[in-house]
Amino acid sequence: MFRMDEAMRKLKILADSAKYDVSCSSSGTARSGQKGKLGSAAEAGICHSWAADGRCISLLKILFTNKCVYDCEYCVNRRSGGTEKASFEPRELAELTMEFYRRNYIEGLFLSSAVEVSPDHTAEKIHEALWILREEFGFLGYIHAKIIPGVSPELVNAIGLLADRLSVNVELPSDESLALLAPQKKPKGIYLPMKQITETMAEQKTLKGGGNKFSTVKYRGQDLSYLNPQGGQLDPVKLAGADPTAVRAAGGLPVMAREEAARYGELRTYKEKFAPAGQTTQMIVGATPETDRHILKMSEGLYKTFFMKRVYFSAYIPVVQSPKLPDVFTAPPLAREHRLYQADWLLRFYGFEADEIVDEKHENLDMEVDPKVSWALRNIRLFPMEINKASMEELLRIPGIGNVSAMRIVRHRKMAAVKFDDLKKMGVVVKRAKYFITCCGKYYGDIDPEPERVRPLLGDGMIIPQGVRIKDDRADVIRGKLSDHRDGVQLSMFSGGFGTDGTEGGNVHGLSV
Amino acid sequence: MDYLYDGTYMGLLCCVYAHYYVEKATGIFREGEYQTSLFGKVYRVKTDEDKARRVYEAMEKKLGEFTLRRSYLAYLSNFPDKEMRLLRYLVFGFKQGRGFNNMHGHPDVFGVQEIEKRIYNERHRYLGILRFSVIKGNRDVLYASLEPDNDLLELLADHFLERYQAEPFIIHDVKREKAIFAAGGDWYIAPLAKDVTVQLAQGEEFYRALWKHYFESIAIKERTNPRCQRNFLPKKYWNHLTEMQV
Ligand code: SF4
Repeated sequence: MFRMDEAMRKLKILADSAKYDVSCSSSGTARSGQKGKLGSAAEAGICHSWAADGRCISLLKILFTNKCVYDCEYCVNRRSGGTEKASFEPRELAELTMEFYRRNYIEGLFLSSAVEVSPDHTAEKIHEALWILREEFGFLGYIHAKIIPGVSPELVNAIGLLADRLSVNVELPSDESLALLAPQKKPKGIYLPMKQITETMAEQKTLKGGGNKFSTVKYRGQDLSYLNPQGGQLDPVKLAGADPTAVRAAGGLPVMAREEAARYGELRTYKEKFAPAGQTTQMIVGATPETDRHILKMSEGLYKTFFMKRVYFSAYIPVVQSPKLPDVFTAPPLAREHRLYQADWLLRFYGFEADEIVDEKHENLDMEVDPKVSWALRNIRLFPMEINKASMEELLRIPGIGNVSAMRIVRHRKMAAVKFDDLKKMGVVVKRAKYFITCCGKYYGDIDPEPERVRPLLGDGMIIPQGVRIKDDRADVIRGKLSDHRDGVQLSMFSGGFGTDGTEGGNVHGLSV
Repeated sequence: MDYLYDGTYMGLLCCVYAHYYVEKATGIFREGEYQTSLFGKVYRVKTDEDKARRVYEAMEKKLGEFTLRRSYLAYLSNFPDKEMRLLRYLVFGFKQGRGFNNMHGHPDVFGVQEIEKRIYNERHRYLGILRFSVIKGNRDVLYASLEPDNDLLELLADHFLERYQAEPFIIHDVKREKAIFAAGGDWYIAPLAKDVTVQLAQGEEFYRALWKHYFESIAIKERTNPRCQRNFLPKKYWNHLTEMQV
């Protein structure tokens, strides 16, 4: 192993440079241990510590090198930047990972890298490090490897056979922004490896999309002809709605894997497979002028097209002074990032389309209330819904009700009517839900909805209650009560529970589901 | 009538038995933890393997495996009234039959579900925050200590056994003075004094220092948020965390 001071230096530089990368979750693969080997991977993802910024530390998140030949405008490691540089030797990195893992500091490795010499040169080193880990040291823990745009297909394949998860960053929400800020990265160099990863997984029949919405989508050789540079249109936003066969969400709306199964997630035996935990991607938000609508449509497109497990957003932190970028004193748009994650959650687990969350009239997410409440208020005429009658799909649209609580309601009411007092025990966030529901016909929100209207029916004078209706102007009152903008909510994507990948289904990302 | 039992799971099952065949329980307490009440008598429930087995088998047959697991988890918890909660839960189950676990809003089901969630969450937390040190022995041994709220030691064994196939390890519940000893795919629990001293293997301090260094480097300054950190990682756990030592 390397010397103490040298090890400290490298670790500091290379962790420091990697820390802005947000996709930290370690979930998505289950693998049991093997005789004589070290490690296993748990389906639900495990946090090992929480850093001073409140983020979960699950993986050893680190760069292989920060010596970069590229010159991305927003990056501290760019060629023309003045940061101190360092690179690991493959063996050093493998040893470090083993020793950390053995002490249960980490769940595995998340290896990213700058471009030293060339994409292929760097990818070869990364491959060597992973090979030593897996083959020589018998490491069975989790590995997430980042694929640098422009890496040759052979290397993508070789790395994919060693890693659990791969990711190619889209970096910025549009081609124009990419050309402006990361001129050496070409859309094609990004989308081709993504496509290769998707296709390889489809071939080995392990392709499964993100959340419970996109996992029911079938791969039909999604039309990727737009990847042809002559075709011009490289923006997946344009593709999002292009293939109507792609999403057949209707039948397979969010029903979480049984909660117990998720919790006590059983271990499968490890077989060598290409990226068994699929692929993810990430983009920087707030460095360029794209709207939330643009970003969410793009995410939806990435889920549908490439079967991403997750699309991560990273609030731009101005570390570099440049005329092309927001001023260095600009606060990172953490609140916006938080809202985007909430919206992403609605896309993947709640059966929402991007168009419903942000429409042409509302191009950006509401900062005052979460996107689910925002949607409900815009559609207040659909509420209140009766807890004992609403379908699973409808229940999931109610603010304050999540996958787990919706399922509990459905199960419970098969045996007995659900009463208002039961809701809290079932995990419903009552203080939010109460505005949007009735329970056994009664409305509990403290907003004075329109009084129960009655209307005489048929000639015999029988009266049938028409139920509660919420007057349109009440929507603003509710909005005032549910605003979480000021009360110091943790504006961070990391404010979730354990299963950062949604296995807990609960109030991850502070979205009261 | 208030019951006293010996604190074992078998003893607790015998309380269930007594509730049906002797006299209804109004409270169930561990021997030694009971404040003698001025009124009413107490009933000392004798732990009897046969009776316990009868209850266990009835639970298995009528209520299923899920209920068995849930009941045992409730027993391991540190909830002060776990015994009565468990009793009410089982009584309701026997009345309602299989499927009663689906009545999530029912107070008797919720009472145990809540305990189960608590202990399960603590277990999950420990899968992440347990810190092993390499200590000197005839060969290297991994050693970790903890002070969990719940008596969850045995719930950790399989996870780490799965992970450490090639290395022996010890997980030491300092509070309850017992430990898991695991090697070669097997484990057992035995008493281990809280003040046991261990000798660190060579290189241990080096990796601890590296880890602390990494831990400090990875936090984003601009996003420092101690409240959020403590929310996820309450201070009571810091004692045993390498990265939190100064
Ligand atoms: S490729 Fe761009 S973003 Fe990546 S390290 Fe180099 S300069 Fe930074």
